[in-house]
Amino acid sequence: MPNQLNDSLFAPSGPSRRHFLAKAMAVGGSGLLLANMKAWGMDLASTRDAPPAMQGRVKGKTVVILGAGLAGMTAAYEMSKLGYTCKLIEARAFAGGRCQTARRGKQFEELGGEAQLCEFDKGQYINMGPWRIPFNHRSTLHYTSEFGVPLELFNNDNDAAYVYNDNAKGALAGRRLRMFEIKADMRGYVDELLAKSLKGGLMDQQITADDKTLLIDYLVSEGYLSKKDLSYRGTDGRGFKVNPGAGMSPGPGVPSDPLAFSDLLQSKLGHIYKSVHEFKQQATMLQPVGGMDQIAKGFEKRVGKMIRYNTEVTSLRNLPDKVEVQVKDLRTGVASVISADFCLCTIPLSVLRQVDTDFSDKFKTALQAAAYAPVAKIGLQMGRRFWEEDDGIYGGHVYTDTKGINLISLPSGNWQGKKGTLLGFYTFGADAAAMSARSNRERIEYALAAGEKIFPGQYRSAFESAFSVAWHRVKYNLGGWATWSEEARAKAYPVLVEGEGRTLLAGEHMSYLGGWQAGAIESSWQQIERIHQRLSA
Amino acid sequence: MKRWIVAAMLGLGAQAGAQTLDGKAVFAANCAACHQATGAGIPGAFPALKGNRFVQGDPDAVITTVLMGRGGMPTFAESIDDAQLAQVISYIRQGWGNQAEPVSPQAVQAVRHKVNASEVLRPDAPANAH
Repeated sequence: MPNQLNDSLFAPSGPSRRHFLAKAMAVGGSGLLLANMKAWGMDLASTRDAPPAMQGRVKGKTVVILGAGLAGMTAAYEMSKLGYTCKLIEARAFAGGRCQTARRGKQFEELGGEAQLCEFDKGQYINMGPWRIPFNHRSTLHYTSEFGVPLELFNNDNDAAYVYNDNAKGALAGRRLRMFEIKADMRGYVDELLAKSLKGGLMDQQITADDKTLLIDYLVSEGYLSKKDLSYRGTDGRGFKVNPGAGMSPGPGVPSDPLAFSDLLQSKLGHIYKSVHEFKQQATMLQPVGGMDQIAKGFEKRVGKMIRYNTEVTSLRNLPDKVEVQVKDLRTGVASVISADFCLCTIPLSVLRQVDTDFSDKFKTALQAAAYAPVAKIGLQMGRRFWEEDDGIYGGHVYTDTKGINLISLPSGNWQGKKGTLLGFYTFGADAAAMSARSNRERIEYALAAGEKIFPGQYRSAFESAFSVAWHRVKYNLGGWATWSEEARAKAYPVLVEGEGRTLLAGEHMSYLGGWQAGAIESSWQQIERIHQRLSA
Repeated sequence: MKRWIVAAMLGLGAQAGAQTLDGKAVFAANCAACHQATGAGIPGAFPALKGNRFVQGDPDAVITTVLMGRGGMPTFAESIDDAQLAQVISYIRQGWGNQAEPVSPQAVQAVRHKVNASEVLRPDAPANAH
């Protein structure tokens, strides 16, 4: 019973824990704070769960913040509390950066693309950028809590969802399966093989007799094996031919037959699941009700007055005693210079490296090192939630190897509503580049053709309206997120994190939580603490 | 295997004209979204290939860039085979008034080997990120 005292005295999260930590910090300094955090097992979390505790009251200091995305708005929100004058510069007419939700009336145009107008019904939306929050991203959840942004569960793992691989080898090619069929059978057969090998003495060199008995017990339990002969013959979790129900008929129902082990192995469909979810791909995720941009709007409500919209950064100069940022008002074309004591630049590196700056050659070279991921998404409004009504799939992802589709994600909200908007493809890299070469019409047709194979007779006929985005072609972003080679992470990344002169960089790109809102927020927290140290010294 | 057959066919009898035509199709499907069908790119975002000295320079450097990616450009090593890469690289070296030698599938294959680029493979599982 570890930490019984702590657990009984303090809520596991929220203000009371933070309150206690602040007290612990005040009484015993960071040593005591750390000891307490460890007692709670909190050092296992890689992410910070609260903004830096910055002391003091600042007067007459100005920070210019480039970009009113989550990193920029986090900085403005926290630093203005201390008395800093924050000037947020935003090229777009709205805040949020990549945290955008497309709903009725949204206008959008990719570089080299056509104009799109979102014609979804009222209440329908697609998250163009971030769309799910792992439960362990406490920094993002800190602000949803602080701003009172209502959350709902995001189903990131649905065993009832389909897997459809056209190009699988062998008998399972082009066969629509449920995830639970694949998992039950793969694991059942593997467990059977291992259990029988153990029983037959094939592994006696590797294991003691006592452990062998325990392991066989585990395998029988894990894989639903017969206790009698250690064979796997299917299990109810993989579904029935006829589901059980009332009375004599259907009564107990009719069990389903497992797939053939060799077919499964040849198809490689077992690669679709792992022993446990990746740290960032938890089954339990959350989403703001009504769209991810509720988070951006939560910030904007609080820092909107500090934002200069429609203002593009044209140059950045690091001077000994100040920073000068030249900007252009995109509506009037008028150029002006903003002076500040410090600059927090949250412009994506893909864009920043094309801005006129006086950074050193070393810094400029480092700016080039990150690659930006081509990413494309399409939202399809369906007039009928056939995946729920007909197929019993409530949220989660349908996986497919159809080139350029990758997954079809079903909405985790408005359950059993009249209509629904699903994610029709979510594709990266070269496939995203190819997808973005298609016109909007062609993208829709491509998505519908792929979906119709998996949901025949349902998908195309339910389709009503679409909205797509290819982030590498979005002005002021030029990519979904930064990616780092090992070499770039080792050499360039530390140079950029360090900053230069009176400019520090923040954003998802300055974190190991790249592409996540938590990365933007935590990077911002880290850098504003450094700016505060410099300016309040 | 298919790659070898295509490569062999090209080596034996394909006309330069046919190669350029196929290169144009590969370009339209994979590259034009950013570099544009005109090869002019988009200033401030995507570099022009038309009149580009790098594109018309050392062929191995161009092949390496297409295989490995650079900046906002992804790797095409996993999605396009050597024969088609040779076609598209030849196309950008000779299109829009550019004047440089075409490259062969063998040259692409050699660079692929040298820079240890991945093969054209279907992933075993769909990617799920962010």
